[in-house]
Amino acid sequence: MTAALQPDLAERVGMDPSFNPSACMNCGICTAICPLGLRHLPREVFAYVVLGMEEEVLQHQEEVFSCLLCKLCEVSCPAGVHITENVRALRHYFDRNVFHLEGR
Amino acid sequence: MSERKIGVYVCQCGGNISDYVDVERVRQAVAEDPDVVVARTAMFTCSDATQEEIVDDIKLDDLDGLVVASCSPKLHTFTFRGVARRAGLNPYRYTQVNLREQDSWAHTDDRLGATEKAIRLVRAGIARTRLLEPLDPTVVETVPRALVIGAGIAGLRAAIGLADIGLGVILIEREAEVGGHVRELGTMYPHDRQGQELISELLGEVRRREGIALFTNAELVRKGGTFGNYEVDIRTRGDSNMTRRFEVGSIIVATGFDSYLPEEGEYGYGIPGVLTLPEFKKLVDASEGPLVYGDRPVRSVAYIYCVGSRQGEGGPHQYCSRFCCTSAVHTDLELRAKSPKAHQYHLYRDMRTYGRYELLYNDSREKGSAYLKFAPDTPPEVQRRGDGQLEVRVHDQLTSQEEVTLDVDLVVLVTGMVPRSNQELIQRLKLPVGRDGFFNEIHPKLRPVETVVDGVAICGACQFPKTAGESVASGLAAVSWSAAMLKQGRAELDPQVATVDPDLCTFCGACTEACPYGAIGQQELGGGRQVAVIDPATCKGCGGCAPLCPEHAINVLGYTGREVEAMIESLAAGVA
Repeated sequence: MTAALQPDLAERVGMDPSFNPSACMNCGICTAICPLGLRHLPREVFAYVVLGMEEEVLQHQEEVFSCLLCKLCEVSCPAGVHITENVRALRHYFDRNVFHLEGR
Repeated sequence: MSERKIGVYVCQCGGNISDYVDVERVRQAVAEDPDVVVARTAMFTCSDATQEEIVDDIKLDDLDGLVVASCSPKLHTFTFRGVARRAGLNPYRYTQVNLREQDSWAHTDDRLGATEKAIRLVRAGIARTRLLEPLDPTVVETVPRALVIGAGIAGLRAAIGLADIGLGVILIEREAEVGGHVRELGTMYPHDRQGQELISELLGEVRRREGIALFTNAELVRKGGTFGNYEVDIRTRGDSNMTRRFEVGSIIVATGFDSYLPEEGEYGYGIPGVLTLPEFKKLVDASEGPLVYGDRPVRSVAYIYCVGSRQGEGGPHQYCSRFCCTSAVHTDLELRAKSPKAHQYHLYRDMRTYGRYELLYNDSREKGSAYLKFAPDTPPEVQRRGDGQLEVRVHDQLTSQEEVTLDVDLVVLVTGMVPRSNQELIQRLKLPVGRDGFFNEIHPKLRPVETVVDGVAICGACQFPKTAGESVASGLAAVSWSAAMLKQGRAELDPQVATVDPDLCTFCGACTEACPYGAIGQQELGGGRQVAVIDPATCKGCGGCAPLCPEHAINVLGYTGREVEAMIESLAAGVA
């Protein structure tokens, strides 16, 4: 299936100014090191956000909420991606757009 | 046989030789040979300590011949000639025997055989050394002037450097205008100056220097002469079709590159809106505000990388052009400054923004440009749909191989550098061309701008794809090389060249025809007898003429017929 792109997705997700998934250089250390073995979070889900692939982001709801926010990936990230803050921004995005929890 | 005093040094090469050859047995075998006064082994003969030991031996025992049995002569001939010179021994009375590449490394399974072969190789070296006569380098006067071919950024800067170091310069440019590709460039990283501005500045500097003669619409049509004294004929086109002759001591080739031009249909090239990177850069550079293409604002761009580069086995361009990743990322930022809302997608194979250019790549990503990675076996596909929309399909390796369709206003094919077609110049200068079509240096690290053609250097992107800064750096390296050669006013040439014995020569002409360098001429002796004569400054000592001479009148000094026969006899001694 071919993805439909929403070029403004990154802006809509990133309410927090520290949201910086585009700093990722796709080395994959985060995926290798994740104690939960989350395969798509954070690197691939961030890539979906940067590309504007909203459908694919929505499919990874469970992973976004499974993250322990342990920061093991973040302290190992060579590109300085604020991974846990970015995951929290993604959670806010789900809260607003999927669960309609306005004002949180 | 004359009494000689020869020193023989058998090298272990830290095990490279001694693991497979019994070097002590080799030493013992030759130590008692006639004329051998000193025979030693050493862990590393090329080490400073052993070199000094050899110097002491030469002085103490008054040696008049030296044999080092170690590695390839390509590595250390000059090292041990230097040792001989320091000890007061004529450097051409030195023989290097190759026990490593030609023995130990080739016979790792046969220690006895390798040792026996080593003894024979060393004895052959001793046999040659016994007959070696002292030789002195041929000294030639050199002309303090250089010819620079190509007035792009590298050639212009080299010309200025040559003039400032006190050498005269003939600078020629085939086009009507100087500046090459850089003249066409807009804002350049990192100083944000225009290409045209840099070229104007350089041209101003060139004009300010009386020592530089610049000819545009000009080509080299002939090169003659000998080392340090080349004659070059320069033809200019246009209003004044004329040929001028100059004497120069060195020639610097700075003829640049061509941009790869995609085939019709390659990644959609030919469809309106599909451009090469140089074409797109011109549009961006010329745009005052937001970029417009075909009367419509450009809202989205897809860049496809490695077009015409890294083509794999069988492709004409298997190399990486190095600069294009950086150039595309820089263009992304230039466009972002003019069209901040435009979405930019980069479809790359491997991102190679080396050195500080990495910062541009970070900047581009962090400002929101998207980077997708494709595999060479599933390249992106470009097409124009029925509704006129340009579409790029790609499998993104950075996500789970998602097939992504990008609807974009422009597709930019990130093209690299290809060698320029310069067949006539290549033939006139006998320039060495590599398999990739670019010109070759002698050694990429140690002699990075010299070519195998004496007196001819290369610089800039005619050598391999380079950025403007790298081109200028190599141009200045060629300046230093010229100055080192020409500022002394004289040069020493290898005396191991061919000579003719006039008593034996009948001037049949066989050698004259065979010489690839045109070094053999004709001379009249008393009584009108004609003989061949070889110019030692032109001869390269290749030896091609010697075996052709029916009268055995030609000898290459250092490898005379007698010396070579002695080596063969020694190698074959006792073999039935």
